[in-house]
Amino acid sequence: MSDRGDRFTRATGTSVIGGAEEHQSRSLRSLLVPIALVAVALALVPLWLGDSGVMMGVAVLGLTFACYAVGFNVIFGSTGQLFLCVGALAGIGGYGGAVLADTVGLPIILSILLATLAASLTGGLLSWVAVRRSLGVIFTGIVTLIFALSFENLLLGLGEVTGGDAGFVIQSGADTFLRENIPPYYLMLAVVVLFLGVYGLLRRSHFGWAFRALRDDEVAAELAGVDVARYRVYAALIGSAMLGMAGATYAFTEGRISPTTFGFAEVDVVVIVMLAFGGIGTLLGPILGAVTFTIVDEVLIEFGQLKLVVYGTLVVLLFLFLPRGVIPTLGSFFEKRRDRPEENRAPTPEA
Amino acid sequence: MTAQILDGIVFGLQLGLLASGLTLVYGLGGVLNLAYGQMAVISAMVVLFAMDAGISLWPAVGLGLLAGGLLGLFLDLTILRPVYRLRGEARVLLSLLLTLGVAFIVDGFLNWRFPLNSLSLHVGGGAVEIFGVPMRRGSLVASAITLVAFAALFVFFRYTTLGRAVRSVIEDEEGARLVGIDPRRMLRLILVLSGVLAAVVAMTRSMVAPVDVQSGFSITVFALIVTVVGGLGSVPGALLAGVILGIVNSIAATHIGTFLSLIILLGAAAVTILIRPSGLLGVKE
Repeated sequence: MSDRGDRFTRATGTSVIGGAEEHQSRSLRSLLVPIALVAVALALVPLWLGDSGVMMGVAVLGLTFACYAVGFNVIFGSTGQLFLCVGALAGIGGYGGAVLADTVGLPIILSILLATLAASLTGGLLSWVAVRRSLGVIFTGIVTLIFALSFENLLLGLGEVTGGDAGFVIQSGADTFLRENIPPYYLMLAVVVLFLGVYGLLRRSHFGWAFRALRDDEVAAELAGVDVARYRVYAALIGSAMLGMAGATYAFTEGRISPTTFGFAEVDVVVIVMLAFGGIGTLLGPILGAVTFTIVDEVLIEFGQLKLVVYGTLVVLLFLFLPRGVIPTLGSFFEKRRDRPEENRAPTPEA
Repeated sequence: MTAQILDGIVFGLQLGLLASGLTLVYGLGGVLNLAYGQMAVISAMVVLFAMDAGISLWPAVGLGLLAGGLLGLFLDLTILRPVYRLRGEARVLLSLLLTLGVAFIVDGFLNWRFPLNSLSLHVGGGAVEIFGVPMRRGSLVASAITLVAFAALFVFFRYTTLGRAVRSVIEDEEGARLVGIDPRRMLRLILVLSGVLAAVVAMTRSMVAPVDVQSGFSITVFALIVTVVGGLGSVPGALLAGVILGIVNSIAATHIGTFLSLIILLGAAAVTILIRPSGLLGVKE
């Protein structure tokens, strides 16, 4: 197999995704410092954009997508389960939270937690089914895509509960800090930092070892005693909880959600592009991708439908020329300069 | 009820032919073409523009078919080249992501430039009564064309050397290579064929209902559902699944409503994957 192909297999292949974080040191500082730097950098954004309500809305959405990308990274980047229902799981969080708070009348915090739990269990169930039936990447992708499309249709079909096409206007929290200009941004930033912390700790724990083992060679991992099935389901539970919580939090800060807020084209495709750009399986790749594409999105806003053309072109170019993403590519560039020849990686078995 | 079953068969035949193109490409090359619906839409737009430019029906239809075939060839020669260097699931995954990108480029461009365009081919003449149900002549012509296309596929795969060569690659790629068949060339041929099939479906569909610029993604989803239920790589499976799901869709749409009927189709595909991953008539791996 050619070098190019091999690199791709490493980047997005079935059992061999990522391959970016081999040489990480185990000290806690190496985890906390990057997260702290990201948090500080992002915390400065309102100083710059804080005057504009519109721009703060964009920034909150950007952070929400960073959360989605981290959640998707836990599921796909760590264990190679192609969940094409990122939007739908976030939608369970968003709509679940909205219905629980507005229609049922629960407190907002409780609504968010319950909706998070619902999303987590749904994702866990999907993963459990996929693992039990030993569906490969593609069938997992198709089943979850089917779930996502069904969810979208369900939102439209159950118009009395969800508001259908017109959307759901959330009354709860309308006169609290959730709808002010700047506080929602810091709330969302806190969620991002929380997710990064959880993901970072996961990667360093025995979870991380199991994830890497089963990503590099599933059969070998299984033989070495890693319970592949169980770790897949755990990853789906955790990642889906992140998606649900991000969706619910976003819903309460935005005040109005519609099926397109959580649509396949609007969420899943964008998250895949962000993650592919930043680097699948890396800690900060999702953040880099989300920030970059939030800016790209703003720049392209006047182009209307042409935005789709740009996104499509970027998807094609990214996967053709930069299949591992920016962070791993930069990382291996510096690594190569430090210790060449670069023979430090075991050859990847073909899928 | 009879009316809905007949409508369902008309739709189902088209679904089956649509899925045949997708399922052959997947079965032969492990390539999942998510820009498939956009190929159909582009072909329909070519016919529309040709007829607007004053070209008469048959040459316009010919141009549409040509456009479908060329699109398949184009994909094969450009973005699928790196895909062919991979194997197994990595190949399916890269093909899926790249063609999804292509689908967005096409959708974005068409929606930006021609958001209101749609193709409707009108078939003249009054309704024809079948089993006591008046059927529109367009539906009948569309179904007849679809059946002829299926017959042509059948003859091609059964009786021509080329068709048998394609089948041999689907069954055993290594074996085919050993007897001197080049799988890459067969795949190129099938991609062109799938483009032509997409064009045929776009045109027959436009005799029953308008095919608009926005329909690309839903065409792909329908083709994917039928492909999964019928079995990856199986044309008879696509035909069978298409007709069954067409009838189910027609009955459900009347009695339950459009949104929920799509959920039923999606559910059928999900259940098939879970119970019988190889599909109704697919080859067990």
